[in-house]
Amino acid sequence: MPEPLLEVRNLSVAYLTETADVRAVDRVSFTVAPGEFLGIVGESGCGKSTLLFGVAQLLSPPGEVVGGDVIFRGEDMVRLGPDDLRHMRWRDFSIVMQSAMNALNPMKSIEAQFKDTLEAHGTLSHEEIQQRSAEVLEMVGIDPIHLGSYPHQLSGGMRQRAMIAMALLFTPQLVMMDEPTSALDVVAQRSLMTKVKDLQQSLGFAIIFVTHDMSVVSRYSDHVMVMYAGQIAEAARTESIFTRPLHPYTRGLMSAFPSVTGPRRELVGIPGAPPDLARPPTGCRFNPRCPDVMPECLTQDPELYVVGDAEVRCLLYAKQTKKAM
Amino acid sequence: MAVTDIAAAAQPDALEVSVRSRRLLRAILRNRKATVGALILLLMVFVAAFPGLIANHPPQAPLYRANAGPSSSHLLGTTQLGQDVFSQLVWGTRLTLIVTLVVSAIATLISMIIGVTAAYLGGVTDRTLTVVTDVFLIIPVLPLLILLSAYLSPSVTSLIIVLTVTSWAFQARQLRSQGLSLRNRDFLVAARVRGERPMYIILVEIVPTMTSLLVASFLALAVFEVGFAASLQFLGLGNSSELMWGTMLYNAQQAAALESGNALWALAPGAAVALMGAGFALVNFAFDEIGNPALRPVRRRRRARTAA
Amino acid sequence: MGADGNSDRTVADEPLIRTVDLTRHFGLGGLFAKKQVLHAVDDFNLTIHENEIVALVGESGSGKSTVARMLARVYPPTRGEIYYRGRLLNKLRSRKDLLWYRGEVAMVFQDPFSALNPVFRVSHGVTRNLALHRPDVRRDQRRREAERVFESVGLNAKMLRRFPYEMSGGERQRVGFAQALAVRPKLILADEPVSMLDVSIRAGVLNMMSNLRDQEGVSILYITHDLASARYVADRVLVMYAGHLVEEGPTETILGDPKHPYTQLLLSAVAESRQDAESISGDTGEPPKVINPSEGCRFRWRCPYAIEKCSQVTPRPTPIGSRQVACHVAVAQAEANSAAVPTAPITNT
Repeated sequence: MPEPLLEVRNLSVAYLTETADVRAVDRVSFTVAPGEFLGIVGESGCGKSTLLFGVAQLLSPPGEVVGGDVIFRGEDMVRLGPDDLRHMRWRDFSIVMQSAMNALNPMKSIEAQFKDTLEAHGTLSHEEIQQRSAEVLEMVGIDPIHLGSYPHQLSGGMRQRAMIAMALLFTPQLVMMDEPTSALDVVAQRSLMTKVKDLQQSLGFAIIFVTHDMSVVSRYSDHVMVMYAGQIAEAARTESIFTRPLHPYTRGLMSAFPSVTGPRRELVGIPGAPPDLARPPTGCRFNPRCPDVMPECLTQDPELYVVGDAEVRCLLYAKQTKKAM
Repeated sequence: MAVTDIAAAAQPDALEVSVRSRRLLRAILRNRKATVGALILLLMVFVAAFPGLIANHPPQAPLYRANAGPSSSHLLGTTQLGQDVFSQLVWGTRLTLIVTLVVSAIATLISMIIGVTAAYLGGVTDRTLTVVTDVFLIIPVLPLLILLSAYLSPSVTSLIIVLTVTSWAFQARQLRSQGLSLRNRDFLVAARVRGERPMYIILVEIVPTMTSLLVASFLALAVFEVGFAASLQFLGLGNSSELMWGTMLYNAQQAAALESGNALWALAPGAAVALMGAGFALVNFAFDEIGNPALRPVRRRRRARTAA
Repeated sequence: MGADGNSDRTVADEPLIRTVDLTRHFGLGGLFAKKQVLHAVDDFNLTIHENEIVALVGESGSGKSTVARMLARVYPPTRGEIYYRGRLLNKLRSRKDLLWYRGEVAMVFQDPFSALNPVFRVSHGVTRNLALHRPDVRRDQRRREAERVFESVGLNAKMLRRFPYEMSGGERQRVGFAQALAVRPKLILADEPVSMLDVSIRAGVLNMMSNLRDQEGVSILYITHDLASARYVADRVLVMYAGHLVEEGPTETILGDPKHPYTQLLLSAVAESRQDAESISGDTGEPPKVINPSEGCRFRWRCPYAIEKCSQVTPRPTPIGSRQVACHVAVAQAEANSAAVPTAPITNT
C-alpha cells in the first residue's frame, strides 16, 4: 500500500461568531493517494468548500479548525507555521477557486500574475519564467499569445483554464479545485474536464474536486465522498456510488437527476431542506428528510460504518457491519 | 460563497420592526462605540427636553456679575452681560438639536428622492437631475448666504432653509449610485412586470431596501450640520437672540470674549458642538458595523483544541 | 401540416403567443469608439399554444433571457412583432391595455435570492398582483385567495407571513410561481427557474410546473441551459445559439434525433455514455459574442460539417418533418433522403 499523499483525520471546522457556533465540518476523515482523483460532492451548505479551505489552511476568522489533523506527506499542516506553509504552497499543493474573476487580479495581465506566483514561491530566471508561463498555457489549451491579455479579455472558459495553468506552475503533487466548472456552460464544462483529466494522467498529480454536480465528476473520479450537513454521508469508489448507492441521501440524489437519454421516469428528489448547522437535528442529521427513517434515527448519532469497500453514515447499516476508524 | 454565508447566516437583513429594535438595542449595548455615542445623544435629548432640571438660572437674564469665572453657582462663568453661561448652554441644546435633526431629515429625504429617481428612471430624467445636483453642489455657500441674507430675515427658519438647500446635494450622488446598483435586482423587474408604476416602485420597492443607507446618510449629515449651523450663526446668519450654541459663539465673538479673558464663554459652546457631532459620528460608525456583519472586529475566541 | 410546421395543430388553433422576426440589438461603445452593435437576438420566430410547456434551450449569451424579457415587455424589440392572442403588442399603449397584458403573461426569475424584496413579507407580491389584476377578488377576500394560491404551489398558507430570509431557495422559488399564478395568467415566462436550486429540490419545482400545465391550464416558456430538465417537462424544445433559433420541434423528436450540429454537441456534452463528442480541437466550448456579425451561420467555426455555403448565407429555420432546422447541411441531407430516387452524395454548393 503506497503512502497516502494526504491524510485528513477527524477534521472539524467551525465558525465562531458572537451569536452562534456553527460547525460547518464535523469529524471528516479521508485519504488521498498519489495520482488519485477524489470527488467531494454535496449541495449548498454541506460544508464541502469549508472542508477544502480547512485542508488548504486558507480559513480566516471567524472560521477556524477546531479539531483533527491534516497530514500532507507526513507533515501536520495545521501545526505548521506560516513560513513553512508558504514554502509548501503552490510547490506541493495548489488550489483553483470557484470563480476565476474572484481569484485573478483584473488589473494585471496573465503573464504578470504568473510571474508574481513564480517569484513568490521559487527562484527562476527571467527566461525561465517566460518559458514556464508559455508552457503551462499550452498545457491547458490556451495559445501563449494570450499571456499579455487581461482577465476581462478572456472568455469564462479560458479564464478558468488560466487558473488551472496557474495552479500547475510548479507541477504540484496535489491540486484542489473548488467548483471550477460551475460558472461554465455544459459544452465548456465537458471540454475543461476532459483537459483536466488528460493533464492528470500525463503529469500524475492528485486532484480533490469539490462540486455540487455529481455528473461532472462521475466520469473522471476514482473515489467520491458525499457530504451532508458537515459530515460524510457516504464514501466509496465512483462506480459503487453510482451503481449501488447505500445512503438514502445518495439514493435521493441519484433519483433527482433527469436523464436526457434513457426512459422517462418520475423525478422524486428529496423533500425539505438541509438543516441549519447552528442547530442541527438530534440523532442523524438527515432524519427529517429520510424516506427510510427509523425510530432510533431520531436519537442515535450514526457513526461511519464499513460496508464492503464503502463507508456509510447510516443506522440502516449499523447492525451488520463494523465501525470505520 | 458558502464560507461567508455561514458566518452571516445569523444576521438577516430584514426583520419585523419590534424584533429589529430589540436586536438594535442589544447590538448597541455590545458595541462600545455605539454605546458611548448613544449615551451622548441620549444626554443631549434629555437636556433638550428638561433644561429646567439641570440649569438653575434663567439663561437670558442679565442678573449676575459680568464676566465672572467658573464657580459653584456659575459652573461656566457668566457672559459680558452677566448671563449664566452654563444655563445658556443647557437651554440652547433644544433648538440646536431640533435644527440639526430637521435639516438632516429633510436634506436626506430630498437627496434620496432625487438620487433614486435619477437612478431608476435613467435617461433624460437622470441627466437633468444630475445637472441640478451638480449645480447645487458647486454653488459657493458663502456668496449664496450673503445673497440670501439680504432677502431672508434672520431667523431659525431661514437658517433651516439655507442649511437644507446647501446640504442635500452631497448625499444625492451617493444615493444615486446605490440606486443604480439596485436597479436591475430581479424583484424590481418583477414589480415592473406586474405593472407597477415607476413612482410606486421608487417609493415602495426601492427606498425601504435602502433604510440602512438612509440612516447612515442621516447620521453623517447630522455630524456635519451641527458644525455647519454653528458656523453660519457665528458668521452672523441667524437670529442672535435665539438661543443656540452657534449664537452663543457669535455673541462671544462680538464681545471679544477670548481676548477679554472670558475663554469659557467662547469655548464651551464649541466643545458642546464637538460633543454632539461626536455622538452622531460614533453611532454612525457602529451602525455600519451593526448593519454589515463583515465590518465587525473579529474577536477570536480562545478555544481548546479537541482531540476528535 | 400547418404553415409553422406543427403537424398536430389545425390552422384554426390561434397560438397564445407568436413572434415574427423578433430582434434585439444593444449598442456598445462610447462616443469615440466605432459603433458596435451587439446582436442579442436576431429574427427569432416562436409560437406557444395553450396548455403547453415550451423549452427554450441555450447557453449563456444565446439570447434566451433577452427573448423572455421582450415577451415580458421589460424592453422593446429592436425589430419584429409579438402577437399575443392575435393582438400586436406594440399597439397596447394605454394603461388599461398594459395592465391587461400583464395579467395574462407573468414572469418567474432565476435567482430566488434576489427575486423577492427582502423588506416585505412573501405575501407582498401576491397581494399586489391581486390588487392590480384581480378586480374579482374584493379586499377582504384577498387573504384567502393568497392562501389558495400558496397552497396550489405546495406552500403552507401560514408561510404567507414569513420574510424571504426565513425561507429556503426552493420555497422562495415557489413563492415566485405563486406570485405569477395570482394574476391567473395564461402564460408564465420562467427564466431558468431551477438553475440556482439544489439538485434535490429541482424535481419538486419541475413537477409543480407540469401540474400547472395539466391542472391550471397555464402555458409555460421554460428557459434553461439544461437539456435533461427540458426533456422532463417540455412538450416542445427550441434550441438557440448566438441569437438565432437553430432547431425546434417536439421534445422526443429533437432530443432523440437531433439534426442541428449544435444540438448534437449539446446532447453529447450531457449524455451519460462514456464517449466524448466529436469536436474541433481547440474548441473551448463557448458561444461567441455576436458583435457586428457578418452573413452566414454563427456556428460554423465550431461545426464539424461546415461547408462553403455556411459562411455565405445565414441559414433560416426550415421544416424537416415535424421540426424546423436552421442548417444548410441538415436540410440538404433531408432533401436528398426524401427524394424518390437515390441521388449522388451531397456536394458542396
